Amino acid sequence: MSDATSLPPIAPPTRRRVTSRAPRTAAVLLIALVVLAAVAPLIAPYAVDAIDLANRRAAPSAEHWFGTDELGRDLLTRILYGAQVSLAIGLVSALLSAAIGAAVGATAGYARGWIDDVLMRLTDAMLAVPRLPLLMIVSAVLQPSVPLLVVFVGAAGWMESARVVRAEIMSLAARDFVSAARAVGATPLRVVVRHLLPGVLSTASVATTLAIGRGILLESALSFFGVGVQPPTASWGNMLYQAQTTMTSEPWLAIFPGAMIFLTVLACNVVGDAIGAGSDGTS
Amino acid sequence: MSATLRHLRLALGVPLLVACTKDASRTRAPNDLLTVGYDREPDTMNRYATHILEDIESCVVEGLVTNDERMRVVPVLASEIPTVSNGGVRLRADGGMDVTWKLRPNVRWHDGVPHTSADVKFTVDAINKGDWKPESVDGFDRISSVDTPDSLTAVVHYREVYAPYQLQFVRGTLPRHVLEGQDIDRASAYNRAPLGTGPYRVAEWKTGEYILLERVPNYWRGAEYPKIKRILFKFLTNTTTRINQLKSGEVQMVALVPWDKVRELRASPAIRLNQVVGNGYEHVSLNEKRFPAFSDLRVRRALAHAIDRETIVRTILDGLVQIVNGPIQPLSPAYEAKVATYPFNPAKARAMLDEAGWTVGADGIRTKAGSALRFELITQSGFAIRENVAQTIQKQFRDVGVDMRVRLVDGTSISGLWFNGDFDAMLHWWQQGADPEITLFFAADRAPPAGRNINYFRDDSLTKLLYASDRTADVDARAVLLRIAQRRVAELVPELPLYNTSKIDAVPVTLQHFTGNPTNAGPFWNVYAWDFAPP
Amino acid sequence: MTRLIVRRCAQSVPLLFVISLLVFALIHAAPGGPLSTYLENPNVRPEDIARLRQAMGLDRSLSAQYVAWMLAFLRGDWGYSFADGRPVLERLTERVPATLELVGAASLIALALALPIGVFAATHRRFDRLTTFLTVAGISLPVFWFGLILQLLFAGWLGWLPSSGRATFDGDGIGDRLAHLVLPATLLAAVFAAAWSRYLRRAMQHIIGRPFIRAARARGVRRTALLLRHSLPNALPSFVTVVLLDASIMASGAVVTESIFSWPGVGSLFAESLVKRDYTVLMAFLMCGSITVMVLNLIADIAVQLIDPRTRDVS
Repeated sequence: MSDATSLPPIAPPTRRRVTSRAPRTAAVLLIALVVLAAVAPLIAPYAVDAIDLANRRAAPSAEHWFGTDELGRDLLTRILYGAQVSLAIGLVSALLSAAIGAAVGATAGYARGWIDDVLMRLTDAMLAVPRLPLLMIVSAVLQPSVPLLVVFVGAAGWMESARVVRAEIMSLAARDFVSAARAVGATPLRVVVRHLLPGVLSTASVATTLAIGRGILLESALSFFGVGVQPPTASWGNMLYQAQTTMTSEPWLAIFPGAMIFLTVLACNVVGDAIGAGSDGTS
Repeated sequence: MSATLRHLRLALGVPLLVACTKDASRTRAPNDLLTVGYDREPDTMNRYATHILEDIESCVVEGLVTNDERMRVVPVLASEIPTVSNGGVRLRADGGMDVTWKLRPNVRWHDGVPHTSADVKFTVDAINKGDWKPESVDGFDRISSVDTPDSLTAVVHYREVYAPYQLQFVRGTLPRHVLEGQDIDRASAYNRAPLGTGPYRVAEWKTGEYILLERVPNYWRGAEYPKIKRILFKFLTNTTTRINQLKSGEVQMVALVPWDKVRELRASPAIRLNQVVGNGYEHVSLNEKRFPAFSDLRVRRALAHAIDRETIVRTILDGLVQIVNGPIQPLSPAYEAKVATYPFNPAKARAMLDEAGWTVGADGIRTKAGSALRFELITQSGFAIRENVAQTIQKQFRDVGVDMRVRLVDGTSISGLWFNGDFDAMLHWWQQGADPEITLFFAADRAPPAGRNINYFRDDSLTKLLYASDRTADVDARAVLLRIAQRRVAELVPELPLYNTSKIDAVPVTLQHFTGNPTNAGPFWNVYAWDFAPP
Repeated sequence: MTRLIVRRCAQSVPLLFVISLLVFALIHAAPGGPLSTYLENPNVRPEDIARLRQAMGLDRSLSAQYVAWMLAFLRGDWGYSFADGRPVLERLTERVPATLELVGAASLIALALALPIGVFAATHRRFDRLTTFLTVAGISLPVFWFGLILQLLFAGWLGWLPSSGRATFDGDGIGDRLAHLVLPATLLAAVFAAAWSRYLRRAMQHIIGRPFIRAARARGVRRTALLLRHSLPNALPSFVTVVLLDASIMASGAVVTESIFSWPGVGSLFAESLVKRDYTVLMAFLMCGSITVMVLNLIADIAVQLIDPRTRDVS
């Protein structure tokens, strides 16, 4: 992503962020993307590695809706297959971030004392290291496969949700129903899992939705420096990376993948906002 | 609302104002300044210590010789090239050899101190002393001593015959009166702005931005040289940025334009694209140690027949390079054109693989004795053309039943991989010297770490030939041996040669006497003569 | 206050130790290493490599290299760059002014956009719709794509602005400098303006919903005064924290922007050093980046204590 920003937790908004049609459209878009990516082999107009050297750099046309690339491969096909990789990186890394964040945050928030101290110091340490440069070094050094890249992106993004979850847990833990559960002898694990985690679910889901977008952006930034997903595997990030050299002569090669990244991240953010606003209304 | 708009207008208004004042600098006299967009910042200006091209350095520090645009060795600070026939090279009875360098008289360092044979001796001693880290001590370690009978004569004594002796001092000499007694690694004054004898000196090095060279007064070629007053090397590591600045006129010249960028520049009327045949060749190395199927000659020949080099060159490379069939390139005096070739012929490739016992399985992939003809090709990431060539070869191999995967590896890691032999096949080219030595790449005992035989290829007759050529000081006699060696290499195809890496430089149409250069001497080898035509 | 500073400094020592260990281990796990650039050149022989390895101290054990590096680091001797043999400290510090210039300009632009947007979006519904869309779009933009498009548009097609660099050589002063600054600063500012205004808007809405603001409104306090005098000061402390933290991230992490625009700052030094595996520079970069974040964190805490009416009396 970006020279990127990390928001500390903040009080939820008091009013719906976006007009109600936008989040629904965004959600539909996201689901459609996931479905299209999943069935890419069935619907893609060409084979993913069908090289056609006689038909290189063709502009968008009836046969090739999005044009063709340097090797005459159909860009639409590559974008569909690229969606598998980019969405997988976004989704799985976000879930991973959420899981680590929830575990760390819940443990810290419930246990308090020195455990809380240690975990929060660790969180601080991770937050203090510049994220994108760190990820660049890790990827450059270890040259990860796609699954490993997912792990790295996920492991670089858990700190925000850890803080959010910890704060929520702390405020919830003070409530009556938790004291009651404790009083009847529930184990700490049970208290956390049964009583506290459901309470933080909505907050965590906002963070997770936003993290999907961030994961996709991070992948594209890593690819910009040539340390992300490596061709011939297509991802939106590395398609964009390859297209940057021909930006002036074949702009469609850069415009379509860039637009896909932008739209997907935008959809995630809109949906995340809506969940945040909605959950606030009910609580 | 209004607040935002105002800010927007402010943000947009500023550039409009500034843009009007931007191009004032364009009106300067033509020979005042040449602005070069350069793809990287040098690590050091010390020619012996740098490990990248010596373009900028060569404007400041001159060699005793250099290579011209046809790769011929031409004298610079030497008054002539020593050879066996002109008596400059004498073979000793003990197997060693003496090379006598006659220096050009009346050459002075930029500080006015005369350039003498003592500087040659100092250079050899400094490198052989071993307490600093020049990039390479190649050849120097075979020098036992240097005699300086007079201030313009240096006699270099070699312990053994060393065929590439002519290029021994292509990187120039070190100024004794400046560097004597210094730790050269830490001599940052010299390493940042070296004292040379060349037409230019370093006026300013602004780290991360540019190096500015300015002409020296009293250059030894005469007061009329160099013509251009100043040369600015702007560091623009991003290729797209570099080409965009060239098109917009922010820089006037770019050395080594990537082939896939040439198309874009053809339309620019202010730019001339100067092309020379290169000194390297793109090829696929086949690691016989890691993937034993490669040690079968029939398999190697089949793979060679399976690649459609014509189509690759015509399409992906836009016809900018020429197909070559061996490691020594056409410009070299030792080049042999009549060697065995392997034209694109998938039917023949399939037949040869069948004959070698690799039969097509159910999935279309060939197998033999239970193992599949399946390997991984590594190549350096970040080069679109190379990635595309790799993927095309992947498809062409697949058509004859060979399953090759492609893995892109970044530039620094890939060195470690080939150095340790941790790869099956690799698509790459070597930075070759101007000398035609290929022993390093093909002699049986020169696998890493002793050399660059990363095919782990062994052929005794070839090895003998190559070592014999290394011990032949006479240029012509050596070339005969190397021609035989090239025929042998082509016959045995230890690697799959693809195409010559031609070098294309973008220069202003008004710049005269620019020739380009295929060697590491770089396109600036004759910068003293460059001249902008008057408008 | 002093206690806070002392405590935070003490806490950061083990933190930095952990970070340094992590970073050191990571960088040295790299295949290739700083000598790999030499391997490409066939004229460099194995003996040369061994000699260079020894000269650079790379033949010692990892722990010995770490201890040597740490001790030297504490003394202020950050070693020499593998790439060009110059002191690391010198290489870093000579890049700092350019980065400060870029980040400073970007922060000012971002603040100038975020403050009004954040405040008014919190209360003006229609304005909010527009800016919500813009700011969500802003945080969703792939920065390097947007940068390339800015470059293509303003430098390539329109030719209004230089495409990269910090100044034209021989350029004419401040106008030229500003022209070079516009695109990278705008790019960097875009994302932060979007994020900050979103943050401020939420903080403002939160405050406005509070009883004391409702009470003030009921008392007939004018809307503008309500916003600027009553609500904004209360939203400001957490906003300052966010801004300072992000500014520190910008300072160390303007890697993308500096690379696209060949801006000669710390970020582009990082990208170059990564390619060359210049361990000493990479280590120093990450350490400095982390220290910057911690220091700005501390400053943020102090600033919050000073400006936040609720915490002022507590400690």
